[in-house]
Amino acid sequence: MPDSAHKLRQIEIVVTREVDISHARQAALALAQALGFSRAAAYRLATAVSELGTNLVFHATHGGIISLSPLDAPGRVGLELVASDDGPGIADIDHAMCDGVSENGGLGSGLPGTRRLMDEFEISSSPGIGTRVVARLWL
Amino acid sequence: MKTLSDVLSLHKDKIIAAWIDRLAEAGDGDSETEPMIRELLERLIRALKSDGPPDIKAPTFHDLTKHMIEVSASRAREGYSPSSTGRLILGLKAAADSAIAAEYSADPDRWRRESATLSEVIDGLSILTFEAFMRAREEIITRQSDAMLEISTPSLLIWDEVVMMPLVGVIDTARAQHIMEEMLNAISREQARVAILDVTGVPVIDTRVALHLTNVVSAARMLGAEIIVTGFSPEAAQTLVKLDVDLRTMRTRGTLRAGFAEALRLLQCQIRPIG
Repeated sequence: MPDSAHKLRQIEIVVTREVDISHARQAALALAQALGFSRAAAYRLATAVSELGTNLVFHATHGGIISLSPLDAPGRVGLELVASDDGPGIADIDHAMCDGVSENGGLGSGLPGTRRLMDEFEISSSPGIGTRVVARLWL
Repeated sequence: MKTLSDVLSLHKDKIIAAWIDRLAEAGDGDSETEPMIRELLERLIRALKSDGPPDIKAPTFHDLTKHMIEVSASRAREGYSPSSTGRLILGLKAAADSAIAAEYSADPDRWRRESATLSEVIDGLSILTFEAFMRAREEIITRQSDAMLEISTPSLLIWDEVVMMPLVGVIDTARAQHIMEEMLNAISREQARVAILDVTGVPVIDTRVALHLTNVVSAARMLGAEIIVTGFSPEAAQTLVKLDVDLRTMRTRGTLRAGFAEALRLLQCQIRPIG
C-alpha cells in the first residue's frame, strides 16, 4: 500500500438526491486515485458508485448511504464500496440480479452490471428492512 | 413603573451605543450598522408597546419580523456570514441588559420577568433570522443551477442540416430533460437531418445516462433526424459493455471528427480539397 494510503479513511456519503451521487462519485475517484488504481479501474468504480447511488435515490424509500473504505489486506490493496438503505428491500434478489430487470422503465437495475464491474460483490436484502450491497475492487 | 417598551425607548441611544460596541468587538460593525440597528430597535419598541402578548408570532410583531427577514435575506445576498447576522440580533440582549437592570433593580421579580420577555423575543427573532438567511442562500443556489442548465447545453448548426450539441458535466434527470428539449428544438428549427451529441465532457456514462441518450435518439428519429453519439472514452466503452447496456440501436463514433464524417456520409456529402 502506498504511504499515503495509510492516512486514507472511510468516507460516508448520505445519498438522497441526484447531486449526492456526483459527490459520492468524486469521492470514489479521489480515493481510487490515492490508492493507485488505473484510470480504467477508477472509471469502473465511479460507474459502480453511480449505479448504486442511482438505486438509492430512485428506489430506496429515504435514500441511503454510500461508504467507501480502503482495504488493507496483507500483500494487496483494495477498496470497498458499500451501499445501504432502509427500505423497501428487494423481495426477489435473484430476479433483480437478472439483466434488463427494472422497476421504473430503466435499462436494468444496474445491479448485475455493478457485479461485473467490481471484483467482489455481495447483496443482502430483506423486504421492509433494507438492502445492503458490498462490492470490492482490488488493485 | 415603566413598561419594557418605555425603558428601551428611554435608553435607546445608550443601548444602540453599547450594541455597536459589542458588534465592533466581534469585528462586525460597519457604516451601515447604526441606522440598521436603530431601525430594528425602534420597530421592537413599537411592537412591545402594543397591548398584545410579547410573542413574535402576534400580529403586532408582524412589522418587526417582516423587517428582520428582509435584513437577514439582504445580508445573505450581500455575502455576510450567518454568524455575523446572528450576532447582530443577539447583541441586543446584552446591550439592553444594563438599561433593564437600572430601571427595574427595585423590583427583582419584574426585572426577571422583563428580562425574560426580551430574551424570548430576541431568541425568536434570531431563529427567524437564521431561517431567512438559509432561504436566501438556497434561492441563490437554485438560481445558479438554473443558470448553469441554460449555459451548459448549447446547440450549434455546424453544416447544412447538421446540428451538434456538446455535453459537458453530469447528466441528471433535470439536465436530461433540458438536453432532450434543446435537441428536439434545434432539430426542428434547423430542419436538421443529422444531430451529433458529443459526450466527451460527461464524467461517467452509467445505465441511467445511457437510458437518457437512447430516449433522445428515439425522439429525434420521430422528427426524422438521425443522432450520432460521439466521444465515448475507451473506459466508458469497456464499462458500458460490462453493464450490458445495448447501444446497438444507437449510431456511435469514438471521436467528434469521426461523427462528423458519418454525418456527411449520411447526407451523401463529401469535403474535397480544391483543385
